[in-house]
Amino acid sequence: MEPFFRRVFSVTKRVLRQLQHDKRFIGLSLMVPVAIIYVLYVFFDSLNNPLLDANAYVFPFGAYIVHFLTFVLTAIVLVRERVTETLTRMMVSGYQQLEIILGYLLAYSTLATGQSLVVLVEITWLFKLDYSFATLASIYLVMWLLAVISMALAIFVSNFASNEGQVFPFIPLVTLPGMFLSGMVISIEGLPDWAQVLSRFTPVYYATEVMHALTGGGNLWDESAALLSLPIYGLVVLVLASFTLRDNA
Amino acid sequence: MTKNLAIEAQGVDKRYGHIQALKGVDVAVEEGQIFGLIGANGAGKSTFIKLLVGAVRADAGSLAVLGLQPRKDKRALREQIGYMPQSPALYDDLTAAENLRFFGRAHRLDKLNEKVEQTLDFIQLSERADDPVSTLSGGMKQRVSLACALVHQPRLLLLDEPTAGVDLKLRSTFWERFKQLAADGATILVSTHQMDEAVHCHRLAIISEGSILTTDTPQRLLQRGRATLQLWRGELQDTHAMQDYPGDLPKVLQKYGLDQQVTRLELQTNSLEAIVLDMMGSSSSDSGGTK
Repeated sequence: MEPFFRRVFSVTKRVLRQLQHDKRFIGLSLMVPVAIIYVLYVFFDSLNNPLLDANAYVFPFGAYIVHFLTFVLTAIVLVRERVTETLTRMMVSGYQQLEIILGYLLAYSTLATGQSLVVLVEITWLFKLDYSFATLASIYLVMWLLAVISMALAIFVSNFASNEGQVFPFIPLVTLPGMFLSGMVISIEGLPDWAQVLSRFTPVYYATEVMHALTGGGNLWDESAALLSLPIYGLVVLVLASFTLRDNA
Repeated sequence: MTKNLAIEAQGVDKRYGHIQALKGVDVAVEEGQIFGLIGANGAGKSTFIKLLVGAVRADAGSLAVLGLQPRKDKRALREQIGYMPQSPALYDDLTAAENLRFFGRAHRLDKLNEKVEQTLDFIQLSERADDPVSTLSGGMKQRVSLACALVHQPRLLLLDEPTAGVDLKLRSTFWERFKQLAADGATILVSTHQMDEAVHCHRLAIISEGSILTTDTPQRLLQRGRATLQLWRGELQDTHAMQDYPGDLPKVLQKYGLDQQVTRLELQTNSLEAIVLDMMGSSSSDSGGTK
């Protein structure tokens, strides 16, 4: 096997082995979105507003929850690697930036796969949604892509924090615009021009665009520009992260 | 015959914001040597080692490690060096063997599992190979950390305070291992603030506030100290202070012709610690790092 891939898989294997040892972490990573989605269900149920179409909101909200959790978990794990100097040691041992990032992405993608699936199944069941398999699979793909992008974004942002404390200001800074400026809560057409420009910098915007098209009866290609923007966004962040990942605190 | 230099630093400066971490550092380490970098906490030892592994960039000066530039030739250099950071830098939830395998996999190693076993055996931790690092004592973690730096059999070992927080018995084991590695041809740069460890090194550099005060062998450094000879003839006591005691002692004793009446001789030499503190001019230092 090429040394590059051997080292990528070595990082993946190591992270998966750590996850395997930390069953509480896996349990919490899956149970927390379940609990939040249930709270979301109670919220919409209590509104009891026949004019409010919950269907338009729940999947973007579900995707946002996965985005938020994945971002927070990945950023903290990476900063912890820097604080304990294992990141420095990894890089001095010969692992390259891109190998480390891809290794992490592959490993945590398994978690994101599980989280996205749990969220999708729970939303469909709780809100008694009746979408075709193709629509649900498309929503799942968007949710999963958003989760993977969130990881790359967290790896990039972790470069600007030397310890766990410093990562906390980045959490609202990165995730809250995704909530308010993505079109998830209100239509972005109602936002001032500068806020509309800003909305393009959050990956949740693109995910919400595609999900709205899908829940409105369309297919993935109806919002092909937004759909393609997701992997492009991910690629840009990945390149930025691999150029900026530092091997010292 | 002059040996090749494993490390050559000339006029190296490093600044972190307003803090000058290193000032005009000149260090030359011959291949196969155990080279000690001695200094109090915050003297610049870790910064210098991080420069050598290419983790930080020097602001000025030139640096060659195994003939390579640490930043420019990062990839080629890192194949040949083993680095042990000050903290254990291990994955606590993985076993000792898993940690070694992970760091070993970064290199193109044949028979990795065999090398992991050999390395664990070398640091006498084979019986705990499959235990999670979190269940090991502090000293054992230090040993695993050393093993991670050794698993690919590097030409140059850069060890940042490897014996900090380690008990006396284990410290002695560590030094036995370092000497064994040097005898097998490895070059070792080890930083420490424990003066009693300095005697194990072939050469020492004393670093204080980012500057190298002196570089010499431990024996020659010891000779720089003052010695005091106290001599009793019955109730009469004479005291002679000597600046260069190996040279001055015979002269002093010749005066007495080793008189049969000499009943007791005491020679008090300055400890390496006292000599170094003298150099630093910091006997009143509040760093607390130099012991």
